[in-house]
Amino acid sequence: MSHATLPVDDLDRNVPPYPHNPSAWSQRIPICILAFVAAAISAHLSLYQWGLIETAWDPFFGSGTAEVLKSKTATQMYAIIGIHDAALGVLAYLGDAILGFAGSTRRWQYRPWLVILFGIDVIPLGIVSVVLVLIQAAIIGSWCFLCLVTAAISLILVYWAWDEVRASLMYLWIVWKQNHDWRLLWDAFWGNRCEAIDHAAETLLSRETA
Amino acid sequence: MWGRVVEIMTAVWLAASPFVFQVQGSDSFVLIDSLVALLIVILSGLSYWHPTRHAHLLILVVATGLTLWGRFAELPPPPIHQNHIVVGLFLLMIAIIPNAASRPPLAWRSSAGSH
Repeated sequence: MSHATLPVDDLDRNVPPYPHNPSAWSQRIPICILAFVAAAISAHLSLYQWGLIETAWDPFFGSGTAEVLKSKTATQMYAIIGIHDAALGVLAYLGDAILGFAGSTRRWQYRPWLVILFGIDVIPLGIVSVVLVLIQAAIIGSWCFLCLVTAAISLILVYWAWDEVRASLMYLWIVWKQNHDWRLLWDAFWGNRCEAIDHAAETLLSRETA
Repeated sequence: MWGRVVEIMTAVWLAASPFVFQVQGSDSFVLIDSLVALLIVILSGLSYWHPTRHAHLLILVVATGLTLWGRFAELPPPPIHQNHIVVGLFLLMIAIIPNAASRPPLAWRSSAGSH
């Protein structure tokens, strides 16, 4: 087998229907940066929950943040998880950043498992975290400014991550539609290579751009 | 190999944890944290060698054990065990990152048509 590398323009091909490559660094780095910002905000909130700082910053809702972070709901979640919910948020956002950063600029095809794992971390978990923030506010009757900021960041991350996850799912769908072979779909999911898998990727790449 | 570097840095933090959380008087914490940290460093280090390049995936087992130990050893978990939970969950994310993660997998680095 030859080990000559593919030209870089092959790695950076646009994926229809998008006029861009959803796995390009220009698409992924902003996600990583925003996820790090959210992780830093969550770290600030978890320091307050751990009692390592006396107040959590909130320019709008005053004691609302303290009421939310020290609420009965937060305490119950702490009893279940074993760590504070804000600390879990730090891990989730770090996960977004780590999984967003790993992989080449054609990882939608070369490592679909990584893109789908990234999608699971960003999309369903992001939506659940937003719903939890809103429910918490409804139950406790107080608002936490930084919690709302992280919820807004979660929604932006969902919007930014969707194109890459969609590209990977479309690619796997084409592999299935062309071959109806579970084994081949499994190989494509884990990034193994064969002619049929190459053909599926080329089918996707030769589609019309929207 | 940045995933492996982060694992080794996390192992250093784990080895230092009993002193950070001021439980260095407990021999079991110092011993277990040091041994687990050493195991993580060994598995990460082995991942640099081609025949054992998948060794980092065994960190998933170590991280799961660390998380469960932190969660259930004492209720509610004291700070040192909360640290075990956080480190364990973090390692679960890092350990799945492939070596040379920013490059295509080996199979895709070969020229098209030569496979």
